[in-house]
Amino acid sequence: MANEVKKMKRDAYNCEECVIVPPADIYETAEEFVIRADMPGTRRENLDITLEKNQLDIYGRLDEELMNEENLKYGEYRVHNYHRTFVVGDGIDREKINATLENGVLTLTLPKSEKLKPRKIEIKAEA
Amino acid sequence: MYTTYDVFDDVVNLRNLVDRFFTEAPAVRRNVEYPYVNLRENNDEVVITALLPGVGVDSLNIQLIDNSLVLEGEKKSDVQDKPYIRKERVFGRFQKAVRLPYRVDGDKIEAGLKDGILTIRLAKAEEARPKKIEIR
Repeated sequence: MANEVKKMKRDAYNCEECVIVPPADIYETAEEFVIRADMPGTRRENLDITLEKNQLDIYGRLDEELMNEENLKYGEYRVHNYHRTFVVGDGIDREKINATLENGVLTLTLPKSEKLKPRKIEIKAEA
Repeated sequence: MYTTYDVFDDVVNLRNLVDRFFTEAPAVRRNVEYPYVNLRENNDEVVITALLPGVGVDSLNIQLIDNSLVLEGEKKSDVQDKPYIRKERVFGRFQKAVRLPYRVDGDKIEAGLKDGILTIRLAKAEEARPKKIEIR
């Protein structure tokens, strides 16, 4: 049983609807959240980013040419379409989400909505 | 916003979780030295590809030493020193030697970096190419 599960897990690299989960970093500044994901081989026009309800989906399709394993003599990696889902909270300004792709690294900036940004509270002098 | 609790949501979520386990593969393999390379052989050339997302051309150094191709460089951290929520990517210096299956012609090496994938084309040396032997 354990071996069968292991084999099925290995096959996850090699099926039609299979995807690779890109490693991602998320960090936070006072104004925004930033997601960075390593997606080598993805071109800008093949990347789909959708935000539906509170689910942020990143889907990157790869050119067939990159997945071609003809004449392969030695292999350490397999590339496939990328897919990753994040759940985002309500404190995001949905209109201002920004994405850039450079050298196979996707950078998504999600600005915090106005009401979540840190603000200084004025203390009124007593009348 | 009010949501009503539906017990079937949890059941569907569990099913999705199990499905995902079998269709999602991790990109990182811990037992393989960074960067990951593939080696292909076409008629008269050897093609090496390596996954190097986020590595610039200026921080990459490729050398042909004897019968090995040495990839050396640095993946500089692009995550600023800010409080992080998730940290999965790795950064740092790397050096990896790939042993070539054939002698190659050192003057005919082409390398290109595109979308985070490095492709190096090496032409086989004259003595490594197939020779037709005449029968007298």
